[in-house]
Amino acid sequence: MRIMIVGVGKVGFTLAEHLTTEGHDVVVVDQSDAALRKCEDTLDVLCVSGNGAVAQTLQKGEIDHTDILIAATATDEINMLCCLIGKRLGAKYTIARIRDPQYNENLSLFEHELGIDLTINPERATAIEIGRLLRLPFASSVETFAHGLVEMVGFRAQIGDAFVGIPLKEVRNLNLPQVLYAAVERDGQALIPNGDFVIEPSDHVFVISTPETISAFFRVLGKNTKPVKRAMILGGGRVSYYLARRITSGGTSVSLIEINPDKARRLKEDLSNVNVIQGDGTSQELLEQEGLRDMDAFICLSDRDEENLMTGLFAIKQGVKKVVVKNNHISYADIMNDLGLDNIVSPRQITSSTILRYVRAVINSHGTKIDKLYRILGGKAEAMEFEARPGASYIGIPLHALKKRPNTLVGMIVRKRKPIVPFGDDTIEAGDRVVILACESGISDLNEVISK
Amino acid sequence: MNKRLVFRTLGTLLIVEALCMLPSLLIGLFHRDGDAVFMLESMAAALAVGLPCHLLIKPDPTRNMKPKDGYIIVSLAWVVLSLFGALPLYLSGLFSNPADAFFESVSGFTTTGSTVLTDFSQKMHGVMFWRSFTHWIGGMGVLVLTLALLPKLTGRTSWLVKAESPGPTLSKIVPKMGDSAKILYVIYGALTLMLFISLLFAGLSPYDAAIHAVGTAGTGGFSNLGESVGGFHSAAVDIIITVFMVLFGLNFGLYFRLITGGWRDCLKNEELRFFMSLFVVCTLVLAFMILPIYGTFGDALRYASFQTASIVSTTGFGTADFDRWPEAAKGLIFVLMFTGACVGSTAGGMKIQRVMLLFKAAKREVKKTFSPRSVQIVRLEGQTVDEGIIHQTMVFVVVYLLLIILGTFVVALDNTHTLIENMTAALTCVSNVGPGFGAVGPAGNFTSYSAFSKVVLSFLMLAGRLELFPILVLFTPSAWRR
Repeated sequence: MRIMIVGVGKVGFTLAEHLTTEGHDVVVVDQSDAALRKCEDTLDVLCVSGNGAVAQTLQKGEIDHTDILIAATATDEINMLCCLIGKRLGAKYTIARIRDPQYNENLSLFEHELGIDLTINPERATAIEIGRLLRLPFASSVETFAHGLVEMVGFRAQIGDAFVGIPLKEVRNLNLPQVLYAAVERDGQALIPNGDFVIEPSDHVFVISTPETISAFFRVLGKNTKPVKRAMILGGGRVSYYLARRITSGGTSVSLIEINPDKARRLKEDLSNVNVIQGDGTSQELLEQEGLRDMDAFICLSDRDEENLMTGLFAIKQGVKKVVVKNNHISYADIMNDLGLDNIVSPRQITSSTILRYVRAVINSHGTKIDKLYRILGGKAEAMEFEARPGASYIGIPLHALKKRPNTLVGMIVRKRKPIVPFGDDTIEAGDRVVILACESGISDLNEVISK
Repeated sequence: MNKRLVFRTLGTLLIVEALCMLPSLLIGLFHRDGDAVFMLESMAAALAVGLPCHLLIKPDPTRNMKPKDGYIIVSLAWVVLSLFGALPLYLSGLFSNPADAFFESVSGFTTTGSTVLTDFSQKMHGVMFWRSFTHWIGGMGVLVLTLALLPKLTGRTSWLVKAESPGPTLSKIVPKMGDSAKILYVIYGALTLMLFISLLFAGLSPYDAAIHAVGTAGTGGFSNLGESVGGFHSAAVDIIITVFMVLFGLNFGLYFRLITGGWRDCLKNEELRFFMSLFVVCTLVLAFMILPIYGTFGDALRYASFQTASIVSTTGFGTADFDRWPEAAKGLIFVLMFTGACVGSTAGGMKIQRVMLLFKAAKREVKKTFSPRSVQIVRLEGQTVDEGIIHQTMVFVVVYLLLIILGTFVVALDNTHTLIENMTAALTCVSNVGPGFGAVGPAGNFTSYSAFSKVVLSFLMLAGRLELFPILVLFTPSAWRR
């Protein structure tokens, strides 16, 4: 598949990196020679220098043979124009990053005319992700599969949790709601556990099941499953705007701290239900004054990673149960986890995985069989959703009798809209949707994971 | 240095080299000269070292290939390749001195074509074909070949190709490096085949045609005749080889664009135009200069065009001894020994693109002296050239000249040759041309140099082929640290 990426900033580069390792022909377009040189030096891509909203530049990258065009420059207008021109010149699918909320609201009116097949708003996607985290305060990450029928929830194991310290095959005999222990992150490494695996305190555990079972699971463990009542947001950027709007409508009362008076005033105009506070959110005095201690959640969304990190740590020290931190440098996530910050969101990563998911879906219609793909554990592992095709060798055979690829796991089977947590005796039937977890990328078919 | 990665890649390359010896082995078997056994022994030696390295050494997956590793792999690869390539030449007794065999092998792989062979009478078809076939392997680059055969050799291969391909910037023709390598080799093979068939039609025996086809394709210059191509005394052969020497001096990316329908782009290519004009103008000037020697203009044109094509494409075949031409003609040939042909071709030399950049940068400096505040940029192929590239080109040219000057001095230590011989020997080796002037001229030979000088000249050839810096990396202590 030939894919053209216009704009190789943070998101563009991440996308190019993943798409090349999956074996696609990737062309990157950028105006900055430095950005292109970085791509040329580290990735197996073709570099085209020039403005991606100009037909000649796109033609230099052979847009007429391109299957997917991804416009990910910093400017919305250029992205739209790029998709418009690209589609006219023969690109089959186009994806644009559009971040301005005003464009976003009326984009549905003319998306088709612009020739854009998918728009992605990194800030809104990030806000949705944070919203999901707030719904289960105990979780550090929540992913949904099979149209929301199945959830994968990550959380940190603690001393005293019933499943800690004994092999997983014995955990099943405990009287816990049946969830699947899908992945464990320990010392920055992703592990796919088997029956002999022993979960240790402070491991980052990912469990898969239906939303109801997962809630029950946490209740039995005695974790906090009450939704967030009061939340405080640091920084008045776009993510904060989307998030505040989202969670206030769900009944959470929100305080939003913004340092810039004009910006604070405008936010108040747009978000009348939100308590907008104008002040320096990094000041401990101000945070205490505004009642940080009483908050159920504290979300750090300022532009500076360092500020987010420091205030986040302060909030944990003040006893806030749920602290979410925005961080653009995902490579620091390990260090932040060590400091106790489990809930880290990166707009860059969320954007790239959303686009990757769409690209996979397009590719799926062209031969390979992945329906959806999620990058979990900071990109160290992947969860993939496949449909089991009739006639495959694994159909109807109990899982324990199948040969499995190492470091992979059958995470969930959804049969006729009913999720099944798979154990050794379960079988995969034709038409089932199967969620696979793997520590490596590049799997493109269910056959590569399980076989007779 | 990422030792495991380096050794594993070298192992893979040796396996590829052993496979490349197969045609020579078959030719040796076919002609029953008894030299097939030497090819077989050399193949066995390459496999004996290559297979364990390739199979047993597993590179550390957590360590990516760094630029330094790429450069070290490429330069070591060429040294190792030449060492194993020298085996058939030495084992068969074609050369009794290891330094001679190494020189000949390096001259083959770097497509220089300077020879130390004096006795062209012995019957060793297999080994003699291997001597020429090294041109074909070295022309496009052995790592590029490896990449075409095994695209998943390593993760970040761009550093390897960057270090091996000629030209200031890396120009891929399709997004994937492995695919690019495959396309390049298909074009290369197809052109070679066309040349081979043309030579058959011109009346050469299949063996002679094959030797000269691979020698021209790699722009090498080894011949199985003492008098080189001149030994055929055939105008048809001269013309065919002249045309193909020019064709192999063009950027192979252009052929790809030609096939995919962009012939207009090709004609607009600045470097191509410059190269063709240079060839035509020099041929005509040379023809007038040598007219008194050959009498008719037709003959003068035939010899002038062949010699011009041979020198400018850095092939080094000869149909006439230009050492006996007028001094003015020799002066022109001397200048052409520097330029080389287009980037992305199999030719050596400084490359036309660098020469053009040099002129354009010089022109800009002159303009700047007239109006110091004017903003001036350098444009090539319709695009602004990055200042970094101009800087690199300057440094390249300076180091190029420096190597020639130092090389001249070192080989002069032999105390056996004239200054012009020493100088053109160093120049012809760095530029990968082949012949120089005087004792090392088209009718001459490099045998008269000492073993030490031959090794120095071999180093100059490698430096020239790999565009200087990869080989120089080997001489920096930090390359050998972890």
